Amino acid sequence: MEHLAPIGLNHYLTISAILLGLGLFAVMTRKNAIVILMGVELILNAANINFLAFSKYNGGMEGVMFSLFVIVLAAAEAAIALAVVINIYKLFKSVDVSSIDTMKE
Amino acid sequence: MHSLIQLSIVVLLLPLLSFVILIFFNRRLPRRGDFIGVGILGTAFAISAYIFWSVVVQTYDPAFRLAWDFTWIDLGNVPGVGPLQIKMGIVIDNLTSIMLAMVTLISLLVHLYSTGYMAGDKNYGRYFAFLGIFTFSMLGIVLSDNLFSIYIFWELVGLSSYLLIGFFFEKESAADAQKKAFLANRVGDIGMWLGILILYSQFHTFSFSEIYANLAAGKFAMSHAWLTAAGILLFMGCVGKSAQFPLHIWLPDAMEGPTPVSALIHAATMVAAGVYFVARIFVILTPDALHVIAFIGASTAFMAATIAITQNDIKRVLAYSTVSQLGYMVLGLGVGAYSAALFHLVTHAFFKACLFLGSGAIIHAMHHEQDMRWMGGLRKHMPWTFATFTLATLALAGLPLTSGFLSKDAILAGAIGFAQVEGGGIFYLIPVLGFFSAMLTAFYMGRQIWLVFFGESRTHLKPADPHHSDHHAHDSHASHSDDHHTEHGVHEVSWNMRAPLVILATLSVFFVYSPDPLDGAKGWFMKMIPTPATVVGEANHQIGELPLGTHQPVLAGVAPTTEVSAPEVAAPAHGEAHAAAGAEHAEAGHHYADARQAEIVHAGHAAHYTAIYISSIMVVLGIGLAFVVYVFGIINPATTAETLRPLYLFSLNKWYWDEIYDATVIKGSMLLATMLSWFDTNVVDGLVNGIAFLTKKFAFANAGFDKYVVDGMVNFTAFSVNTTGALLRKLQTGKVQTYVVMLLLAVFGYFVYYYTRLIN
Repeated sequence: MEHLAPIGLNHYLTISAILLGLGLFAVMTRKNAIVILMGVELILNAANINFLAFSKYNGGMEGVMFSLFVIVLAAAEAAIALAVVINIYKLFKSVDVSSIDTMKE
Repeated sequence: MHSLIQLSIVVLLLPLLSFVILIFFNRRLPRRGDFIGVGILGTAFAISAYIFWSVVVQTYDPAFRLAWDFTWIDLGNVPGVGPLQIKMGIVIDNLTSIMLAMVTLISLLVHLYSTGYMAGDKNYGRYFAFLGIFTFSMLGIVLSDNLFSIYIFWELVGLSSYLLIGFFFEKESAADAQKKAFLANRVGDIGMWLGILILYSQFHTFSFSEIYANLAAGKFAMSHAWLTAAGILLFMGCVGKSAQFPLHIWLPDAMEGPTPVSALIHAATMVAAGVYFVARIFVILTPDALHVIAFIGASTAFMAATIAITQNDIKRVLAYSTVSQLGYMVLGLGVGAYSAALFHLVTHAFFKACLFLGSGAIIHAMHHEQDMRWMGGLRKHMPWTFATFTLATLALAGLPLTSGFLSKDAILAGAIGFAQVEGGGIFYLIPVLGFFSAMLTAFYMGRQIWLVFFGESRTHLKPADPHHSDHHAHDSHASHSDDHHTEHGVHEVSWNMRAPLVILATLSVFFVYSPDPLDGAKGWFMKMIPTPATVVGEANHQIGELPLGTHQPVLAGVAPTTEVSAPEVAAPAHGEAHAAAGAEHAEAGHHYADARQAEIVHAGHAAHYTAIYISSIMVVLGIGLAFVVYVFGIINPATTAETLRPLYLFSLNKWYWDEIYDATVIKGSMLLATMLSWFDTNVVDGLVNGIAFLTKKFAFANAGFDKYVVDGMVNFTAFSVNTTGALLRKLQTGKVQTYVVMLLLAVFGYFVYYYTRLIN
């Protein structure tokens, strides 16, 4: 396992960037509101990974605290967002965000 | 204030009280309040009679004069005019008290007479109210002591005359006549007002006595011609009111009014106001103005007399006779026979009122027939009317023993004297016309008496005319249809119409005025009303003025030339000499500073018996001719009229004056009106319409600017906002993904920007 470099900060950041890219891709391309919410979770978690990686290599505990907050916020956000999606579904019989455009006209 | 002044104010205001009561309350009073009118006039007459008694009979002083005035309006110093203070005042002298008694007496008699004549008229109460305002105005003229208040009352008299002429205003002819009278009077009044203004501009006062005093002191700053002009302009008022040629046309038409009104206003009092006014201003009239007055009077007297001989309407004959007699009075004033003219005014007032009231009685009895051709034989049915009417006729014709003889003779004597003094041939025209008119007067009055009272009744000869009432002038009122038509006989009128006739006829006899039946100058009247000394005579107007060419040779011929060179000193002496020469003159004791005036007065006295002879011959000739034509039938009037057809028509059609005025003044006014109307429609309206057109054009241009520029700017703003909005709303797709992409793009863009900044 000598030829393998030890896992450093760059690896974390790379994973985080990939995760952010996937999240963005899901948010931008999916039509299903729930999938979009999942994409948003991915983006939040990419941010969490960054917070934790910088916290580990910087030595402070601030990053850990921030990521804990983000997890709590993500949970609350998911709860509210899902409630909204349920209501949207009740109203439009659909969770397709491209068809929910009544405020435009 | 003297008690006589107080009494005269009461006399003045009583008829006004009658007017006020009757005009407002006549329908609520029993008998429509006629007893109030008669009662008030009775009181006024009683007081006037007292004034007459104390002034003329008790005082018996030719120079008696009482005056009282108060400042009515003080306008202070008016810019451009000078001090303007208007006073009201009363003057009582012999003339005033005689006029006062005369006006109230005739007015009282007419009131009394009208209670019979107008009985049953639907506007009976209003009639008496109008009589009241008329009497008030006339008394105002008589009592006024200044030109301003006389002018006010002058207009009031015109108004009441207007109201009474058109009393039967439902009749078109009456309405026309009242307008004609009013307009003709206005023409004269304008002249009178201008004359008043000329005098006012010089002396800043309206008062008679102050004007005389100023003139006598030679304070008239303008040229002498202005003074003559002032005199003639003031005389224009008299021309209008006293129906002198050329404004005489209204008086005959004024006979449309009720007959008692004709007696009161258009025969006895109002028309005499003009003569009275000229008498008041007599002393300021220059010899030139007097000449104009004399010629107008003479031509009026003659013209009206020639018209009167062919008229068939009983009232029209009397109307033209009135015009003719007023011409005599004006002639008398013009030739300087002042007392004679005023004497004639008073005597004429009584006998003409008697004639008119008598004709009213005849018309009343004849069921409103006014055409003399269908009368006749009334002598037997109406003895009282016949007797009084005949007496008044004799007075009018000027037969000896009547009042008319005394006064007319005095005027004619004055005219002869005047012509002798003036010496020119043309001036003899005045007495000649006067005598000729006297003959005509006797003729037409003889004709009237004969046609009305003698012979047999010709009522049945009248052609049946269904439209008779439309074009024949006659009084139509309610009594027309009731009792008279059921009982078809002509009968004498009742006592209240007879009594005035008797009183007036009594006042037409000589002994009332003079003990000598041949000489009025011996009577109280001529003694009480002496000719006043002129203030503008030869003596005055030679100071700083060029002597008037016409008088200079005349004077030179009569008086020694040395006197002319120093007239101020010589003239009184000259006058004295003549006063001493003339017995009557010396007896009267009047001295005239003015040579010409003294000359005329003296010559007038000297010509007295000449005048008596000629006028008696003329009167006898006139009556004789009337007898020859109408009584003996030697000359047939119808064939004579046929032979002299042009002359006959000329007279019958009143010298064509109405037609002449129609062709000149009325057509001229209409033409002027048409021209002004054309100017109005084309030029004035054109201007207005042009301005309107331009305004419209400007408005349209303005509207275009508003529409295209202002609205364009507003609309462009809206359009650009709209367009921008339409473009921008494309960005708002409503799709979350789009926003996310744009967010990413923005972040990417920012990153690129920041990165390039970092590199540089």
